[in-house]
Amino acid sequence: MTLKAAIIGYGKMGRIRHDAMMRHGGFEVVVACDTAIDPNATIPMTTDPLAVYDYNPDVIICSVPNMMIPDVVCEALARGKHVFSEKPPGRNSSDVRRMQNAESAHAGQVLKFGFNHRVHDAIEEAKKVIDVGTMGDLYFMRGVYGKAGGENYAQNWRNDPALSGGGILIDQGIHMLDLFQMFAGRFTSVQSFVQRKFWTEVPVEDNAFALMKNADGVVASVHSSATQWQHTFRLELYLRNGLISIDGILSASGSYGAEVLTMALNRPDRDGNPSPNPESQEIRFTEDKSWDKEVAEFYDAIAHGKPLRCGTSQQALDVMLLVEAIYAADPEWNAQLKADAQIKAI
Amino acid sequence: MQTPVFIDQLPDVSAVVSHKSGQYRHQRNKALLDLLLKDHSDWQTRSACPACGQERGKSRSFSHTFMDFQRCSNCNSIYAADVPPQVVLDNLRLEQINATEPGKDREFEFISLLNWISLTEARLERSLDSVLDVRFCTQAPDWQDTVQRQSRNRSWHFLPLTPDDGTFASLKAKLRETNPKAVLVPAEMDRTADPAMLLQVIRENSPAGTIVFVTSSCADGLEYEILGADSPSFIPLDRLTIFSICGFKTLAEKSGYEILETSTPGRFDAVILERYFKSADNADIPFWSGFFREADKNRLHDLQILLQRSLKSGVLRFLLET
Repeated sequence: MTLKAAIIGYGKMGRIRHDAMMRHGGFEVVVACDTAIDPNATIPMTTDPLAVYDYNPDVIICSVPNMMIPDVVCEALARGKHVFSEKPPGRNSSDVRRMQNAESAHAGQVLKFGFNHRVHDAIEEAKKVIDVGTMGDLYFMRGVYGKAGGENYAQNWRNDPALSGGGILIDQGIHMLDLFQMFAGRFTSVQSFVQRKFWTEVPVEDNAFALMKNADGVVASVHSSATQWQHTFRLELYLRNGLISIDGILSASGSYGAEVLTMALNRPDRDGNPSPNPESQEIRFTEDKSWDKEVAEFYDAIAHGKPLRCGTSQQALDVMLLVEAIYAADPEWNAQLKADAQIKAI
Repeated sequence: MQTPVFIDQLPDVSAVVSHKSGQYRHQRNKALLDLLLKDHSDWQTRSACPACGQERGKSRSFSHTFMDFQRCSNCNSIYAADVPPQVVLDNLRLEQINATEPGKDREFEFISLLNWISLTEARLERSLDSVLDVRFCTQAPDWQDTVQRQSRNRSWHFLPLTPDDGTFASLKAKLRETNPKAVLVPAEMDRTADPAMLLQVIRENSPAGTIVFVTSSCADGLEYEILGADSPSFIPLDRLTIFSICGFKTLAEKSGYEILETSTPGRFDAVILERYFKSADNADIPFWSGFFREADKNRLHDLQILLQRSLKSGVLRFLLET
């Protein structure tokens, strides 16, 4: 079964999705839409998002800026198309709820969001080991995810809250929060510090620190940073019988290094108490298969009716609510935003 | 196939080349000498590399002390050109074990094996609730005690070392009787006269899907590459076949196994080499002599991890599936 696909938003992400669909083989990309026609494109292009429907696609790949996502997704669902959308799923939880409503109204259509970190090899391996129970109960998680701003940071739409919904936390940190929720479910208590230290010309945070706890008492701390001069992805999970950490994440930029999964089971002494620094087992992953796995899951959901495991709209809503809770938990940050808004109004 | 790296604390150098291990070497070499003085017409001559099968004529000499050892020019494995019958080897080994006083506490090493099984079970998402230990319970007498204390969630079966005629009949019987999900072979491959036969017996008497944990010495280790037959780990009777990664991989595949994982978790190469270069007056090898003479503990640790990551340490581990 070949699915005809239209890509709305044919920038870096749209092209990554295009390549993944080609590798999969179950898709035919029939048209792409962007703000300008690429004369070198190998497929028909348009600048009108509604014009893609003239090609009668089965699926819409939505790779547009955050503020446009709800409109693109809801329009596609209303027209009976299956939708794969990039993260973040809009700018806030209202955007996600709007898309969820559209999804409910078109129950036969598949809606998947691209939280690809869940399907990185190291993450999947860690999840597997935890789910089997060998490591015992999860006690706490620590996550650091950061980069050194980015190209045209101040001018980038990602740092205009009206377009993106926030700064580094919603853009990149959302992946770490999504992973936290994958491992520990929803968090019921959140504390945070949200700051703007270096990129002061933009009205969004460049660092967010949060401490959260779920109903079972699992505690997680995250640091999402746009001033992480040394690009870093590090997720640590400490469990009753050992530890798991993931250092580095394979990305399009390659700047976070290879994914190194480290697992260690405690080495009990003769009394059964854990000795410090147990032997660890380190496994290195060097090939990013996440894009292919996401496309394959999307295809299987449409073609074979398999339920989605990753990137459901409920997961999207849960993580967006957590982002909002982190923003809301720092009164100083909210006061600063209010002051910014007043200055802007004057 | 994955190639995990096992990272652990660096051992104390005194634990590596102690007076006791020197005594052990002398005892084993004396036993070998006695053996060589007897009639050895029943020894088996290896006409080809026991790992990859390349004919012996293409190998190069590794050592002539006591016995002729060859280094395979195809797969880099090291092997004795002639091997005593298995029953002779087993009897000598039992004599040695019975004559040896209780050694150092090896709990550290034992828990590494137990954790290897546990993490493998988790990663494969497959219950390994019954394990057959092949002869390690005799080789390392404290092993069983550790297993009983630290691995209560599995049923363990132990096959003690008994003189075998080379057909591994007791292993066959034990495999059929216990039908284990996993087989642990930590100390046999390099000591066995016919490692291919041992692998074959395990595979033919285990149901498909049985996981086999193998540990052995590794000819690719920097220790063997630099020191050759001078390596303190090279005790001929205990190292009739020192497999390279490539060699063991070839043999395992030829024996019908699927290889799930390869690693060289050895922890001793760096400290063995440091000790050698700091004590040997005439050892002068470009780069390495200076490297080890000047090395501090951190540098040795970094080197050992590099060796593990490069599959170049002196111990190999293979995870096989029947």
